Amino acid sequence: MSNEQEIKQLVIERLKTLPDDTGLSIGSKGDFNKEELIKRVELGDDVGQKIIEVELNFLRGLKDGILYET
Amino acid sequence: MKHSLLITRPNFDLTTRYLFIWAEKIIGLAKEKCGKVFDLSGKRANRKEFESMMKKHEPNLVFLNGHGDSEVVAGQDNEELIHAGENEKILKSKIVYALSCCSGKILGPQSVKSGAEAYIGYDEDFIFLYEENKQTRPEQDKTAEMFLEPANQVMVSLLKDHSPKKAHFNSKKSFVRNIRKLLSSQSVAIGGSVVRYLIWDMQHQVCYEREDK
Repeated sequence: MSNEQEIKQLVIERLKTLPDDTGLSIGSKGDFNKEELIKRVELGDDVGQKIIEVELNFLRGLKDGILYET
Repeated sequence: MKHSLLITRPNFDLTTRYLFIWAEKIIGLAKEKCGKVFDLSGKRANRKEFESMMKKHEPNLVFLNGHGDSEVVAGQDNEELIHAGENEKILKSKIVYALSCCSGKILGPQSVKSGAEAYIGYDEDFIFLYEENKQTRPEQDKTAEMFLEPANQVMVSLLKDHSPKKAHFNSKKSFVRNIRKLLSSQSVAIGGSVVRYLIWDMQHQVCYEREDK
């Protein structure tokens, strides 16, 4: 599995832990339910890329100790 | 100091509906604290009315809710209210908070260069989670509250006469409080899923002030 695929899978697994009735608003990109978010990440479109970016930002933050800073 | 506040609250899709409703709390507080509150809601959140009210009443606080991009904050039906390079001078001497995506990237710093006293906004997409069964009652949505309450803390602090930098700091502190609450909650999985978006919003809130401040 390529790095990109691994990251996508990680993000999808994380999204699956959201409660079924949860939606996500990403400003003018729109609002999405859990299933749509998973599809968008699989597709890798702009919404999917944004979700991946948030995840990578979080993981980088963990490495840099963001949860200790906060 | 008695403030006067102008607030824009478009309301035409899910995101703007949530911002519209949650901004009502700020209007309530502003009515207690401010001399005057000018509420441009729904269709009144258009460029003509915005510019006219800004010129006529010269509010010292401006709270913009709505969609945006790096150069724009929009109103009803995404009509541009402020566009960097076109009319940001209208923000001269004002303290501005834009609860809007990305305008902290270009419009924010450019507004301050053009004379705004301060501009607080987001240099990336403002993201929030919500409960689908609360879409018609956003004020009861506890999930969205975790995002919108810290975001609105900027205005709460400004209305309490805190400086823009302090208001920005207090908002970040409020995000941190919610992150900690989630991390120590029993629903670790859900909390963990939400935390990354709270951290995102917190990290991307930016504050620009005039250098001579």
